[in-house]
Parts: sequence; structure tokens; C-alpha cells
Amino acid sequence: MIDYLVYLLTIVGIWGILSLSLNLQYGLTGLVNLGHIAFFMLGAYISTILVMVVGTGYVVGFVGGMAAAALFGALIALPTAHLQQDYWAISTLAAAEIARLIFKNETIGGTYQGGPYGFSGIPQPLKDVLGPEMYGWFYLGLTLVLAAAAYLVLQWLLNMPFGRALKAMREGDDVPLALGKNVRSLRIRAMALGGGVAGLAGALYAHFNAFIDPTYFLPLETFLVWAMVILGGAGNYLGALLGALIVQLIYNSTRFLTGVVPLDADTLGSLRMIAIGVLIILVIHYLPRGLVPERPRRYAGTARNKQAEGGQHVRTSPSQG
Amino acid sequence: MQIIFDSLVRSSEIALLAVGLTMVYSVLRFPNFSHVEFAPLGAYLALFGAVSVGAPLWLSAVVAVPLAGIAGIATDRIVFAKLRDRSPIMLMIAAFAAGLVIRQILRALWGPSPKSYPIGLQDPLAFLGGTVTPIQVAIILAALACLAIFHGLLTYTKLGIAMRAAADNANLAQASGIHTERVIRWVWFIGSGFAGLGGIFLGMDTQIHPMMGFGIIIPVFCAAILGGIGSPYGAILGALVVGFAENVGMAINFSWLYSAFGVANDGFVFVPASYKPAIPFAFLILFLLLRPQGLVGRRSK
Repeated sequence: MIDYLVYLLTIVGIWGILSLSLNLQYGLTGLVNLGHIAFFMLGAYISTILVMVVGTGYVVGFVGGMAAAALFGALIALPTAHLQQDYWAISTLAAAEIARLIFKNETIGGTYQGGPYGFSGIPQPLKDVLGPEMYGWFYLGLTLVLAAAAYLVLQWLLNMPFGRALKAMREGDDVPLALGKNVRSLRIRAMALGGGVAGLAGALYAHFNAFIDPTYFLPLETFLVWAMVILGGAGNYLGALLGALIVQLIYNSTRFLTGVVPLDADTLGSLRMIAIGVLIILVIHYLPRGLVPERPRRYAGTARNKQAEGGQHVRTSPSQG
Repeated sequence: MQIIFDSLVRSSEIALLAVGLTMVYSVLRFPNFSHVEFAPLGAYLALFGAVSVGAPLWLSAVVAVPLAGIAGIATDRIVFAKLRDRSPIMLMIAAFAAGLVIRQILRALWGPSPKSYPIGLQDPLAFLGGTVTPIQVAIILAALACLAIFHGLLTYTKLGIAMRAAADNANLAQASGIHTERVIRWVWFIGSGFAGLGGIFLGMDTQIHPMMGFGIIIPVFCAAILGGIGSPYGAILGALVVGFAENVGMAINFSWLYSAFGVANDGFVFVPASYKPAIPFAFLILFLLLRPQGLVGRRSK
């Protein structure tokens, strides 16, 4: 039981990092990235390839995975920065699937490495030194430290000019443009930064799970991250972490339920997804700002900004113009 | 010749889904990710009629299509009706969630393994140097008939004119006395019904499984965007382009391209079959970059 709790908390930590990074892109910047899992996948694969095939150390693997994911974020944002939100969302979904198809179809290294078979036996840092009993605790600690670091860095950025410019962009391009900000560059930087953080989560996951294959990175996983951010409260990093905890608890609950309820594992698997889907629809209906709403920023001498409602972004529809 | 047959069958299936998607998109102004889920819904309903009830397949299909349409209206009432004034982003996420729920309900009811209609193996007919099964011919003809009826509806009936008005400008349509909510119901009914029919065809042509809707989400969106959102005719054209691009893309020898860049090759360079799903994805991205208003679209930037 304790072992399972340690496992669950590690998973929550990894997905918490992922949900923090999406919160930067969506909650703060308003970028509707439906291909978020691609960053996670790149972090996982690149770190695995660096450590397993190339033979570098873990630090190089993790940093490499983050760099690759950040680069991918910038690459997606570069040509598509002028697209409308809805089209942009669809193109990110498509880009993530193309990236997944590449990893599905290309084998790297020796026999049965990569491709549809995935990578098995991914090495784990310090496993030999610590032994299997201590290892779960060690990895949990590592994950929580990195998650805390990601939280602190992102929270710190929030109050920097960069973070404020991102928030301004969420409410439409006009304000940052009027302030002389380069919207395109901001968008690219937000995608790269969020991508890098998500890549860290991916690298953590690959070395934790010791196995990855392309079916781990389906668009459904992106939706789970979205569920975390929406449930927790878009724009609030603590909310994103809370959302990750709740969604992962529902997602993993079937392990406890098998045997208790008279349903087979397949049906239970469907039921937990139905539960998450219904939960998100209910949250959007009745709690649009999430469990931990974003705190509206108070400016000296102005009334409380009522515009800061989560998810209600100003959007001008060009077809009506 | 074979390529043309295959492409036409594929285009018919995509067109039925894309037409509905583009209508919902233009009236409600959000990309409805749950739209494709009405394809497996229709397919499973027809399967239920044909196998569990024992009715003939055509009769099951005739019953399943309006049922899928009603399911569409129900989805709109339950999920989207309260969200009309929300941002498209929230609607998009709600649609993703709704699609997930529909998909997983189907999976819970019928199981994750693929199923087939009791139509047996089809004898392919040799025709103009290619082979085609009677089912495939029926699919193409039925899709053409449906789209022709839809065209008639849009052009000659009051409802069709109201639909086009609402697609053009929902506020203006409302101001000129069109009952927009009623039009929205019809749009959902027709769109989801068409998607259900597309799903039945897809199931006849290949297999029925819970992922069959989500699996073709990108080709369908690609067709709708290629055609320009809000244009049903554009969506049909887009479906043709996507259907042919998928099949023709596999048949083109890219040897010349390699030679042009001085890359050594053995004279036969094809897109590997495992990358077939990537063609519509890549197509979509390229298209969005180069011509976001669609092939025949009038959507101004």
C-alpha cells in the first residue's frame, strides 16, 4: 500500500509538472495547445535515446530532452503564430500526431529499440546504489524537488515583465502590441518555455517507468492535462497542481475498484474516462474558473478588474467583422 | 484506376462527416471535436439493429441515422446549449470532453475489440482495370445521393435558407426573425445524422471499433478547413482532395526529388505505407499556413 502511494505521488508529481507547463501556455498566455503531449514524448524519447543509445549521463539526457521539447515548441510556434486560436489548436494536434508517427515508425539503435516496440529497460539513475526498496522514495523525492523548482520558476516569472506581457496577450493582441511588445516572439518564447518544462516531465517519466512506447502519447493524454488545468483553475499554478492530483486519483482509482465492483477491467477503464469527461463538462458549466481561481491583480488606483475571469477571453471573430 | 476507386470511397466517407462539421462550425463558431464520435455511434446502432435485433442491415441503417441525429441534438442540449456565450476555447474543450464520453460509453457497451457487419466477404468486380466491391459502389452512390438531397435542402427550402443565413451571420439571422435555436437543432440533427451514416459506411468498408471516429478526426477537419469553414460544397471538395491526397501520395515516386537534391537513391522512393496517416496531417498544417481562408472560402483574415 505504501509502495503504491509512493508510486501514485510520483505520477502526480510528473503530471503536475506537465500541467504547470500547460498552465503557462494556456492559463497565462491563452495558447490553445492541443498537442501538449508531444513535448512530454520528446522529453521522454530524447532522454532515453541519449542515455541508452548514445550513452551520455542522466543530466545530459534530461537537459537534452528538455532542449528538444523546447525546440519543438518554438518550431511549432514559428510558422503558425499568425493563425487564429481554433485553427492553431487543430494544427498543434496535427503536429503532435506527426511527431508521434515518426517515433512509431523509426527504429533506433539495436534490435527492437524504438518503433512500435518502444524502449524497454530504460536505465534509472542511481538504481544500483540505492537498491529497489529505497528507490521509490528516492524517485519521489527527485520528482517533488523538480516539480517544486518548476513551480517556483514559473511563479517567479509570473511577476516579471515577461509574465505580465504573456497575461496581457491572453486578453487579445491589442494591448501588448500597443505597449510595443513583439507578440510573435512572446508566443514563441511561451511555447518553448512550456515545452521545455513539459520535456522535463517526459524525461522523468521515461526513467521512472523504464518503458515507453508510442501508445503512451496519444491525443487523449493531452486531454488529461487539459482536464487538470481546467479543473484546477486556468491561470493559477497551485490550481494546476491540485488538478493533476484529482485527475490522477480518478485515473488510478480503477486499481482499487477492480474486485470491489463486479465489472471487468475494460469497462472500468472506460468508466473512469467517462467520469473525467463528465467532470470537465460540469466544471465548465458550473465552475468555469476552476477550483482555485486566478487571483485578479489589483492595480493602484483602479477598481478590481472584473475582466480577469478564467477562460473568458476576448476574441474577435473575423468573419463577423 | 484502383487509386481512383479507393480515393472516391474514402472521399465519400470523409465528405459525409466534413459537411456536418463545417455546418456546426459555422453556426456555433467552434471546432466541434465531438462531431466525429457520431460516426461510431451510428455504426454501432446499425450493428445493434442488424445483429442483436436481426433486422436487415439497410433497415437498421435507416433507423440508426436519425437516431444519431437525435443523439446530436441531445448532446447540444446537455453540453453546449448553456455555453453559447462562452469563448470558443471553452467550447472546444467541452467538445473534447463530450467526444471522450460518447466514445467511452460506446466502448463500455460494445467492448474495445473491432466488430463487423454480417455482410460476408464481398466479391470484387473488375471494372476499368481496377477492382471494386458492390458495397463500395453503394457507398459512393449513397453519399452522392445524400449530398444531392442536402444541396436541395439548402437551396430550395426555407430551413436551408435559414441555415445558410445563420452560418453567414448568426446575429443578423436572429435579427431578421430566424429562430436561431431551431436552426441550430436542425444543423445538429443533419450533421450528426450524416456523421452516423459516414460511420456506417466506414464500418461496412472496414471495421467498427470505438476509435473509428477519433481516428479520422484530422482528415475530416482537414477537409472542412480546406473547403473553407461554413461552406458545405467546399467541404465536399476538400474531402475529395484529402481522399485523393492520401491514396495518390502513396503512389508517387519521389525519386526525382531526391535526385534534384543530389541524394543517392535506387530510383524508387515512395512514402512508406506506415506514414499514410501523416499525409492529411501534413497537408492540413501546410494548408493552414499557406491559405487559411480555404480553397473556395470567403472568410476574411
